[in-house]
Amino acid sequence: MESSQELTALLIVPFFASILAWFIPKTSQRLYALLLSAIHFATVIYVVSHASLAPGAGLEQTLPWLNDLGIQLQLRLDSVSVWFVLLGGFVSFAVLGLKGPWYRRHARLFTSLSFFLIFALNTAFMSTNLILFYLAYEAVFIPMILMVGIWGSNTKAASVFRFFLMSFFGSILMLVSIFYLSYLHYVKTGSFSTNLSDLMVLTSDPSISLSWCFAGFFLAFAIKVPLFPFHGWLKEVYVNAPTPATIWMSALLSKLGVFGFIRFIGPLFMSSMLEFQGTLLALATFTVIYAAFLAIQAKNPKALLAYSSISHLGFVMLGVFSLSDAGRTAAIVLCIGHGLTSTVMFYLLDLIDERKEGVTLEEYSGMAKKYPLLFVCFFIGVLSAVSLPGTFNFIGEFLVLLHAYPVSALCTILSGLGVIFGAVYMLKLYQRLGFGTHDEKVGEGTITRDIAGFDLVVVSLILGMIIYFGFQSSIFMGGIDHG
Amino acid sequence: MGDSLSNLTLLMPWIFLGIGILASLLVSSIRIQTKNPAKFVTLATLGLVMISSVHLFGQETRTVLSGLIEVSPLTCMALFLISGISFLFVVGSSGYLNKEKLHISDYYNLLLLVVLGASVLVSAKDLFVMFIALEVMSLPAYALVGFRRNDPRSNEAALKYFILGGALGAVFLFGTSFVFGATGSTQLAQIFEWSKTYNGDLLLFVVGHLLVLFAFLFKVAAAPFHFWKPDVYEGAPISVTGLMATVITTAAFVVLMRLFHMVDFHTPIWEPYFESLKQMIRATAILSLLVGSTILILQKNLKRMLAYSSINHTGYLLLGVLGSLSHPEQAYSIWFYLVGYSIITSGLFLMLSQSETPNDQGLELIDLAGALKKNPLFATLASIFFFSMAGMPFTIGFFTKYTVFMSSISAGEVLLVIISAVCAVIASYGYLRPIALMVMRDPDPSSASFVSTMSNQTVVVFLAALCLILGVLPQTLIQITKGLELIP
Repeated sequence: MESSQELTALLIVPFFASILAWFIPKTSQRLYALLLSAIHFATVIYVVSHASLAPGAGLEQTLPWLNDLGIQLQLRLDSVSVWFVLLGGFVSFAVLGLKGPWYRRHARLFTSLSFFLIFALNTAFMSTNLILFYLAYEAVFIPMILMVGIWGSNTKAASVFRFFLMSFFGSILMLVSIFYLSYLHYVKTGSFSTNLSDLMVLTSDPSISLSWCFAGFFLAFAIKVPLFPFHGWLKEVYVNAPTPATIWMSALLSKLGVFGFIRFIGPLFMSSMLEFQGTLLALATFTVIYAAFLAIQAKNPKALLAYSSISHLGFVMLGVFSLSDAGRTAAIVLCIGHGLTSTVMFYLLDLIDERKEGVTLEEYSGMAKKYPLLFVCFFIGVLSAVSLPGTFNFIGEFLVLLHAYPVSALCTILSGLGVIFGAVYMLKLYQRLGFGTHDEKVGEGTITRDIAGFDLVVVSLILGMIIYFGFQSSIFMGGIDHG
Repeated sequence: MGDSLSNLTLLMPWIFLGIGILASLLVSSIRIQTKNPAKFVTLATLGLVMISSVHLFGQETRTVLSGLIEVSPLTCMALFLISGISFLFVVGSSGYLNKEKLHISDYYNLLLLVVLGASVLVSAKDLFVMFIALEVMSLPAYALVGFRRNDPRSNEAALKYFILGGALGAVFLFGTSFVFGATGSTQLAQIFEWSKTYNGDLLLFVVGHLLVLFAFLFKVAAAPFHFWKPDVYEGAPISVTGLMATVITTAAFVVLMRLFHMVDFHTPIWEPYFESLKQMIRATAILSLLVGSTILILQKNLKRMLAYSSINHTGYLLLGVLGSLSHPEQAYSIWFYLVGYSIITSGLFLMLSQSETPNDQGLELIDLAGALKKNPLFATLASIFFFSMAGMPFTIGFFTKYTVFMSSISAGEVLLVIISAVCAVIASYGYLRPIALMVMRDPDPSSASFVSTMSNQTVVVFLAALCLILGVLPQTLIQITKGLELIP
């Protein structure tokens, strides 16, 4: 680990971007957001290029903050967090280019909240102090709730409440668990600490029973991912949220849960994880299949994608719960693949939505003829979502199944069925939206031309990445380690 | 401790208050056009109290008037908080008082009396002084609650508050007599000394101690002593409600802490009583948390909702009390909580006083609907306060909860913390609802509009800024509160 002063740049840039947004005219908010998110992404790349990705290496920075409460700004950018931060930087740039009501009503608020969200996400992905992580984890809610509330669609109140209450319930139990760990540290050493490395020393002592603490952490992250049966909040929120919020949630917020499992639960509660491994694997497998079935019978395209997202995250969790280094590597690869794929899918769905006032799958039908280029892009996205060989998702899912097999053959085989179900619902989605007869009764949207300009650039960039990494995945294999 | 004339400088804050009250009574008869001279006298007095309490803060702890009054950093901090919050209320609520036609000098005279009572209360080291200060604080408060004479609900609230408050004042006096009977003194320092060496029957003292505790648990409305609170909050003029929620709660909690720490619980003979006392606090804390959070989410009326919210906050404060009983150094969590809570609550009440509806006790949650469209600044500021109440990070509300959780965890109260965490989730639903109404709904033509005066807006923005700044950098405040020692 080498010490670095650059990590704070990843917090300072979005934080000040969030404040500065209030001084920019409403009409140029989109331009400002794009510019600043590009600067942010450039900063991320600059800092990451300085980080060594060798095992056990990375950048570290500790700043005093609230020493009296045992909270320090302990940041670490290592081979795990690098990928999430990179994904966050890229996805944010893509998302902020999307035009929509969020740049028409309360545009300043939207930009400001977006950068605050990026700030909180960067903090969460880099933190090695549990309380700092909790703070950031919780802070993510504020922009999310407000975005769904202000720019979401009509029936949103109930969905926001369910989202907020379930997540808050999980995370506050995590907070209690953190306190308890800190208290145990106090009993043992005479000082409170919420530093990950201190607590790892503490929990490695087999004489302490930590099942309840494990439960607190598990609940928080399982709700965030989400794992069955904690997925109840997800569909309504995804469907009602404005597209940028949906993309952020599926591409990054769900990864926050995965990240929590890898960064905190793994090192802290390995013995509990081993104890419950069978149950956890079964949960992940059931999530894959159950969500796939829900997706097959979904009526609304956004709901279908929401369920498909849950199903893919089930695969990710299968990789995490295989509890091997290779399995976790595979999970992270799949995380990035899924992050890119769901970004492009929701992005394209938003473009489709602008062109037709549909609600159910049938109402959208027959659009491919009118918008050929848009549906070519959509098709590549669908191929990635069904993990066709040659796409990034394939590498991830294949590796997950490969490394899960030695642990539990049954779970692997059942999850493998999920890939087939995935093909069923994704192709159904494409068939309903693209082909069939054009329904004249459904109103045209505000835009009637094919995909072009900025949208085309962003979408083809992401699709290009998905295919490129599908063949060049060795970049990731070498780079991910869990020292 | 000899009482020389030089000790008078230590009594500066109280002397300023006394002179201020006389002066404001004197100028009450003068009326210069629309300006109210009593308001300026009040502001000047409160300002002087703030300055003198800052001045006294650095000095070492001393008792004056034969040990009846203590001048310590803790007293000074409480004094500063009480006078500071009252100052902000006076500045911020003149628009409201004008609108409600309550803008008369008597309001300020009574307000200064409440502040005087509260400031004697936080420094009292003698049960009789506490009783007198309690009455000095409460009697004008009853009058203020009933200040809207023509409104039956205001009268009902005043009567309810007066009867219950009077009865509990008597209970306090009753308890004091028991304590005096058992210990032969009413001074806290002497009682503490007595408890170290005492070796006889505890019953007389325990009954007295519990009775004096009940009186102040009533003042802070810890469940099951909370029934008066929603009605009184609803009936009182909103600026008075805000004052009660902050100033009276702060003063009562400081006294409550002194009363809890009245005996030396490290002496073996007190062990059984200590355990059952902790059990009692646990029960009150859980009950307050449950009542506060569950009934909070059912409320439609904003002031009633805030009443239950403050019952909920009392529950959290009692968690801190529990921590401080086992580890006295954890008492800082309570002082910190009181500062944070006062900032949030006064900000919120001052915002609600901007309402244009003539009878503010009819201020419903639904009146906030569509505020983001009608009045974006109002919606933003109110959201900051509500998020802060819910304990969201990067607001002071997070660290207030953090410190009391930490405090009670360090006393080993894991189960209690889990219960309170669940209650925090329930309550957060209640705080999220107004935010949801503000940002999601379209404005309703019948809903109240909020128009603020310049002075009110300045105060509210200042408090919201404090809320956020202390939410990111609470270090200084934590260090200050850690330096406040509770001296028996």
